[in-house]
Amino acid sequence: MDLFLQTLANALIQSGTYALASAGLALAVGVLHIVNFAHGEFLMVGAFVAYWLSVLAGIDPIVSLVPAGAVMFAAGGVIYQASIRRVLLAPELNALLLTFGIGITLQNLAVLAFGATPRVVHTAYQLTAVTLGPVSVGVAPLITLVVSVTLLAGMYAVLYRTGIGKSIRAVAQNRTGAHLVGLDVDRIYLITFGIASALAAIAGAMVLVRIGASPHMGFGFVLKAFAIIVMAGLGNLTGVLWASLVLATAEAFVRTYVPGGGGAAEAVFFLLIFFTLVWRSWRAA
Amino acid sequence: MNKLAVVLVVVALLAMAGTEGMAQREQVRIGISLPLTGPASASGKAAEAGYRLALDEINKAGGVLGSRLQIFIEDDGNLPAKGVPIFTKFVTVDRVHAITGIFGSAIGVSIVGPAKLHEPLIAMLGAASPLVERGFEGYKYLFHYHPWAYHNMEAVFNFMDFVRTGTGASTIAILYEDGPFGSAGVGDTRAELIKRGFDVPFMESFKSGSGDFTALLSRAKRHPVDVLFWIGFDADALPIAVQSREVGFKPRLIFGTPASWPIGFEGNPVARDVSGMAGWTSASPLAASKEFVKKYQAKYGSLSEEYMAPMGFVTLTTLAAAMNKAGTTDKDRVAAELAKTDAETPLGKLRFKPSRLTPSVYQGFDSDLWMVFQFRDGRRVPVWPKSMAAGPLAWRWR
Repeated sequence: MDLFLQTLANALIQSGTYALASAGLALAVGVLHIVNFAHGEFLMVGAFVAYWLSVLAGIDPIVSLVPAGAVMFAAGGVIYQASIRRVLLAPELNALLLTFGIGITLQNLAVLAFGATPRVVHTAYQLTAVTLGPVSVGVAPLITLVVSVTLLAGMYAVLYRTGIGKSIRAVAQNRTGAHLVGLDVDRIYLITFGIASALAAIAGAMVLVRIGASPHMGFGFVLKAFAIIVMAGLGNLTGVLWASLVLATAEAFVRTYVPGGGGAAEAVFFLLIFFTLVWRSWRAA
Repeated sequence: MNKLAVVLVVVALLAMAGTEGMAQREQVRIGISLPLTGPASASGKAAEAGYRLALDEINKAGGVLGSRLQIFIEDDGNLPAKGVPIFTKFVTVDRVHAITGIFGSAIGVSIVGPAKLHEPLIAMLGAASPLVERGFEGYKYLFHYHPWAYHNMEAVFNFMDFVRTGTGASTIAILYEDGPFGSAGVGDTRAELIKRGFDVPFMESFKSGSGDFTALLSRAKRHPVDVLFWIGFDADALPIAVQSREVGFKPRLIFGTPASWPIGFEGNPVARDVSGMAGWTSASPLAASKEFVKKYQAKYGSLSEEYMAPMGFVTLTTLAAAMNKAGTTDKDRVAAELAKTDAETPLGKLRFKPSRLTPSVYQGFDSDLWMVFQFRDGRRVPVWPKSMAAGPLAWRWR
C-alpha cells in the first residue's frame, strides 16, 4: 500500500511538469493550428536562461522563470514574425517541417555555444523533501506543480475573463470571422505564439533544478507534450491538466509494477496516442 | 654513347638522392577521429585538448623524423555514418601514417572492414566493447590504449570487494540504462556480484535522459540496500542524486559509472559523497600526472577532470616516440617500437601486451587504470585504490 501511495504521489508531482511543458504547445495548436515541434527547444532555451542567471547572478531558478519567460516571449515573437506567419496559410506539413527545422537549429546552436554536456545548478530546496506518512515528495517538483496549476488557472482566467482572451478565442474559433469583425488576427497570433513560447521557457526553468540543462533535453518533452495534447483534444487547454495526470500516472505505474518498466515507461505515451486516436475514431464511427 | 650513359646514370643518381632527401623531409601525418559534437563531445573535446597539447610538445622537441608533426582532426560525432568515411579519407586522401582517436565502440566495430582493407597503423584511444577486439582478430596494427569493458567491470568488482571488506556492505541495487552501454553484460555483472557475496535484491533498467527516476527509486527504497550502483550517462547523474532524496531512498553509497559528469555537479551539495569511476583525476599523485596538469594549465589556463585529456596526450606522445625510435614511418617497424613502449604516463605505467580475447591486438591499459573518487567540497577526491587515495571512502546517509 505504501508503494501504491508513493506511486500516486510521484505521478501527481510529475504531472505538474508535464502540464507546464504542454500548456504552450496546446495554446499554439488551439489558436494558430500548428504543432510547434520547436517547443521542446524553447523549453531548453528557458532552462539555459535560468541556468546562466543562476551561475552569473545567483538568481534562483524559481525567480528566473520570469526573465526566462520574457526572453522566450520576445524570441517567440521574432520567430513568429520571421518564419511562422509565412506558413500559416500553407499546407500543415510546411509548418511542421519549419518548426522541426527551427528546433534542430536551436539545438545545434546550443551545442555550439554551450557544448553537449548537461549543466546543473544548486538550490537549497533541491535537498528538501516533504514526508507525509509513507509518502515522500521533493519540494522542487512540488513548487513546479504549484506553478503549473497557477499558470494554467491564470491562463484560463485570461482566456475567459479578459478582452485579449476573448480575442484569442475568437481567432481560434474562426480566423476569417474574427478578421471580419475587426480583430487584428496577425497581432493575436503574434501574442499567442509569444505566450506559448514563454510557457515553454518557464517549464524549462522549472525542470532545471531536477534534471539540469542540456541542448538535447527538449525532444523528450515535446513528444510527451504532443501525446498530452492529443489526449486532451488538440487545442483544449483545460484538458491538458487531466491528460498530464493520465500520462504521468500511466508511466509511474508501468515503472513501478511492470517488470522492466523502467525502460518501457518511455513508450507509454506512444500507446496513449494510439489508444486515444483509435477510441476517437471508434466513437465517431 | 658512353658520355650519354654517364650523364644518365648521374642524373638518375641525383634524382634518387633528391627523392630520398624529400622522403627524409616528408612531414609525418596522423589522422585523429573524435566526437567533437553530440552527446559524447565532452570526452571528444577533452581528448582533442590532450592531442593538441601533445602536438605542441612533440614539435617543440623537434617533431617526428626531423619534421613538424601534422595532425588532421575530424569530428565523427560518435556516429559510424561519419566515422567510417573519415577513416577512409584519412587513408586515401590525407594518406596519413597512422590513425588515432576513435572513441565510440560503434565506430570501432564499423571500421573493421576498411581497416582490414587498407591496414593502417591504429592507436585507438577509446572503443571499449569486446566486439571491437573480436572484430580485429588477426589484425597486426591495432594498439588499443583504453581498457576493454571487461577490464572496467573487473575494476568495479574489485572496488565492491573493497567496500564490502571495509564497511560490511552486503546489498546492492542496480539501475542501468537500457541501451548497449548499460545493458550489455548487466546480467553477468549481477551474477558476479552475487558470486562475490553480495545480495542484489533490485535491478531495473531506465531510459537515459528521461529525467524521472522517482518510481524506480521508490521501488528500490523498499529494499534496505547499502549501495546504489547505476550505469548510465551524465544526464542521469543529477536526477538520480536529487530524486533519491526526494523519495527518501538512502543507500549508504551512490556509485555511478558515466563516461563524464555534468558541469557544475561537483559544486552541488547533492553530489556530496556520490562516487564515480575515472581513469584519471587532476588530483592524481603520480609525478607524470602532476607534470601533465602543469602543462595543461599553462596551455589552456584551466583544469580538465576528463581522463580523455591525458589519454589523448599519451596516445600521441607514445605514437610519435615510436616513430622517432623506428626512424621511419614504415608501419611494421613503428608497430614493433610501439609494442616495446614502457612509459610512465599521467595515467600510470603503459606497456602493451597481447589482448586477452584477441592476442593479435596490442592492449595498453587494463583494470588498473581505474580509480574511484567521491565528490567532496567541489572536487573529485580519489578514494580507491589505496595507492591513489587522497582520502577515505565516505560511508554515509544512514
